[in-house]
Amino acid sequence: MLKLSYRYDQTAARLEVDGLPDFSSGHGEGVIGILSAWRLQLVGAPELEGKRDHLEALMAVVFPYARHQISGVSRPEGWSHHPVSIRPVDGVHQLELTSSQPDVPPLTIKLDDADLADLLRCLDALRSDDRVSISWPEIVNHPLSRRELVERVPLVRRLAAPVFGGLALVVVGVIAMVVPLPTQETKAPTDSIEAPSPDPVSDPSQADPSR
Amino acid sequence: MTEATGTPLQEASLPTAVLGRRGMERLDLLLLTVESLDFNGGEAMLWATQQLGFESLFPNRVELWKRRCHNPLRRSTRRGRLGSAETEALIRLLCAMADRLYPMLHQLLSSREPVDLSEQRWALVDQRLRDLIAERFNLRRGAVQRLLSSDHSASIQRQLVLTLALAAGPGGVDRLRASLLDPTP
Repeated sequence: MLKLSYRYDQTAARLEVDGLPDFSSGHGEGVIGILSAWRLQLVGAPELEGKRDHLEALMAVVFPYARHQISGVSRPEGWSHHPVSIRPVDGVHQLELTSSQPDVPPLTIKLDDADLADLLRCLDALRSDDRVSISWPEIVNHPLSRRELVERVPLVRRLAAPVFGGLALVVVGVIAMVVPLPTQETKAPTDSIEAPSPDPVSDPSQADPSR
Repeated sequence: MTEATGTPLQEASLPTAVLGRRGMERLDLLLLTVESLDFNGGEAMLWATQQLGFESLFPNRVELWKRRCHNPLRRSTRRGRLGSAETEALIRLLCAMADRLYPMLHQLLSSREPVDLSEQRWALVDQRLRDLIAERFNLRRGAVQRLLSSDHSASIQRQLVLTLALAAGPGGVDRLRASLLDPTP
């Protein structure tokens, strides 16, 4: 059998894939159509290896995580039952791999920003390599929602303005209730005696005696 | 570097992306960061546009500069939005430049580098970026003052370098485009 092996090197990461050409799909001799194994070496970490499913699981968390990192959002990817997860921990990126073998504890690898970028470039290179003709799961990069972007602002800073505004409103309300309203002096009703009005002028042409 | 060669960047149909104000600010700032990392960055960008097949969009340095002036933080800013083809070309140009500078980006981000050497490298980037911002951006704008403030500049510069590292190469184009289209929070 014609076994093929390709390698993608970066400073702190090396990804190797082994496979066979899929002649039934019309692939050439130098093209991997069936992935049989892969190995990933990260500096300061044990070598990882697995099948195609594991590699796809790794891609499924690393690509969305990097997408969020570009926008400055640190969001964990992968769930507890997922074979691979990555989360930000103390300024580094903690990659956790759960083995499918029973009684094998999960492997935790800490990556700095440069390691993450190297791993991402290896995966990018593999996906874009014409010599590996495998239909990888599609990675769609969408703009983040406004809510996700807001979460990168610390909670204290996010809540400071509304809390301050609410407090100011309460203080003003309390002051308004405590401070008495100025009372208007009401004039006592006086009995006014209407002065007797002079007789109405009966004849407008008569002479005014006051003149 | 990878043994595998990347896919050619020239593609007949480019995705359409018209950036908003914040996206244009980030794109130009990332290009400025590339210039701060590479003293010959302006020339390299022009050369890269020819390599990528964007001569018709950016035939010379002035045309490239005019497109970048759509950044509202610029000292001499241009009104209106940048066209989708030009935006896409600038994004691809940036990713190609980041790919070229990736070893330097890796050195800056790596925690395994000697601390004093890393500090010296960051100090050089900081100084160069400050000079470029002071030369080209409107210093009366609050956002520009924040870029230059000692409290925020270090974290902003690290985020810019990390963005370049994660967007380097053909694989980073989609990620960077999506990021630049993020809404304003």
